[in-house]
Amino acid sequence: MSAIEHPRPMPNGAGLFDLPTELAIDTDVARRVIAEFIRGQLRQAGFERAVVGLSGGIDSALVAYLVAEAIGAERLLCLMLPYRTSAASSQGDAETVIEHLGCAGDMIEISSMVDAYFGWADTGLVGAAGAEGLTASALRRGNVMARIRMTVLYDRSVTWGGLVVGTSNKTESLIGYTTLFGDSASALNPIGDLYKSQVRQVAAAVGVPETIIRKAPSADLWPGQTDETEAGFTYPELDRLLFWLVDRRRSPEELEAKGFAPERIEWALKAVAGSEFKRQVAPVAKLGPRTAGVDYLYPRRRPGSART
Amino acid sequence: VQPLRIALAQIAPRLGLLDENLARHHALIGQARTGGAGLVVFPELGLTGYLLQDLAAEVAMRLDDPRLLELAGATAGEGPAALSAIVSFVEESADHRLFIAVALLEDGRVRHVQRKLFLPTYGLFDERRFFAAGDLLRATPSRLGVGVGLSVCEDFWHLGVPQMLALDGAQLLVNVSSSPGRDLAALNEVGLGTATSWRTLLRTYAQLTTSFVVFVNRVGVDESISFWGGSEVIGPNGDAAFSAPLYDEGLYFVDVDLADVRRERIALPLLRDERLELAVRELGRIVKERAGQADDSTAEPGSQPGLDVAAR
Repeated sequence: MSAIEHPRPMPNGAGLFDLPTELAIDTDVARRVIAEFIRGQLRQAGFERAVVGLSGGIDSALVAYLVAEAIGAERLLCLMLPYRTSAASSQGDAETVIEHLGCAGDMIEISSMVDAYFGWADTGLVGAAGAEGLTASALRRGNVMARIRMTVLYDRSVTWGGLVVGTSNKTESLIGYTTLFGDSASALNPIGDLYKSQVRQVAAAVGVPETIIRKAPSADLWPGQTDETEAGFTYPELDRLLFWLVDRRRSPEELEAKGFAPERIEWALKAVAGSEFKRQVAPVAKLGPRTAGVDYLYPRRRPGSART
Repeated sequence: VQPLRIALAQIAPRLGLLDENLARHHALIGQARTGGAGLVVFPELGLTGYLLQDLAAEVAMRLDDPRLLELAGATAGEGPAALSAIVSFVEESADHRLFIAVALLEDGRVRHVQRKLFLPTYGLFDERRFFAAGDLLRATPSRLGVGVGLSVCEDFWHLGVPQMLALDGAQLLVNVSSSPGRDLAALNEVGLGTATSWRTLLRTYAQLTTSFVVFVNRVGVDESISFWGGSEVIGPNGDAAFSAPLYDEGLYFVDVDLADVRRERIALPLLRDERLELAVRELGRIVKERAGQADDSTAEPGSQPGLDVAAR
């Protein structure tokens, strides 16, 4: 990890981002737990290497730094998977991460795969989805892009001989701002219990470049899109609301008494309940005497489960 | 009562791999002996790993299991080579109930077994689904020259356990744990909410029971959860004699003077002054009230026997 230049310590995110007091965590402990988690998961699965899809954003950048910290950059492959309309700055930021870490990196443009499905609106050339695909919504296109990235990550995980490490954070998972079997798909997720504000805090601690920490979070589905304008929330505000609702078990009435706006509370409750399905494995119809996930309960990493 | 060297085996057991963990225990008992320890303590389910679910039945051992007896055999020795070991495993009774058990091994045999009494089944815990709860709480005499009280993790979140063990003659209270770390809020004393809570409990129990408290917690990762270590030895005045680092695997040696118990109990005779008959009387009353066999002094007037709210 000597290649990484550590910025001056900013325990409260001073100057870089807004960190609500109740969300501040001990980043030393977090890094220690996460490093053990990554090493433990890989060892128990019989792997020594990992693959991370780098978007240029803070979540995947942080995961890359954490994986490098846990197992060494030489065991990490970072894949950049841009579509042709993806922001050039995202690409540049992803390249900076690879450069800083000194890990293996590769770029696979997914445009031809996405276009082969939806077609080419500019020329009217139809793709596998037929004429209807030409007018597909940004949401559908975004979901397909996320799932194609997943497909590539899992394919390259075979040739690299590593596990796919997830990059979804707790905030987006709780409000369902993820694509099922897309960006939410992974073999293990080291940051899934960190709110976006905490992602920023840990990112600052491990030395993720400031430009990446500073920039507005975006799904980068169209130029200028940002998470916060779409949700109508700032992340520190949403993180606080979710923290008090989920972690501290406050009722909607109690949240209102804490000063959260009723319409924000209502929006969050709906978003959390409405995305419950994304956070759980699909239910299996119970028919036999013993059913996986119901009354056949084993640890994922049980004896004999490791690849040999 | 001699000065005692205690070895704390803050290890990361391999989940479901009994043979591998047994070998590790044998090796560490050997290291503890070489290091001059009179007692070596392993964490909760150190022989099996914690998050077993349906694996529990596959790694269970009866108390007459040759592998357990062989491990007990490793404690035998002449003079300073003899030592006591406290180990934990899944115990299967003759009627096929599965318990989380902790055993004191010494003089080459299983000296005492304590089954976990309190099985947390809330939050991230699901123990009662897979295990039976023990019904007995007993302190045990030991070759160490003092009574020993064994308990397992959650047992120490119930006030009566350390108190009853001390009143039953224990001067050395041992808690073996697989405590999952959680709550990383920056305002925590040691960066981890779980560790902060445990540290408070251990110091309080040592002080209130005027006993040594030995806490051995595992490290490593089972599935989503990470175990935080932080094993400790607390003296009978409530001061820490030793605190192991969080998350670091290791065999840590601590020297204690068991005579501290006598000094503390003479100076601070809390146990002498305990009112056991008062506790038994009042607890007996509360049991009767809950069972509806006596009037509940704190229930709403007009409530049905055994209920504390009056239906309208």
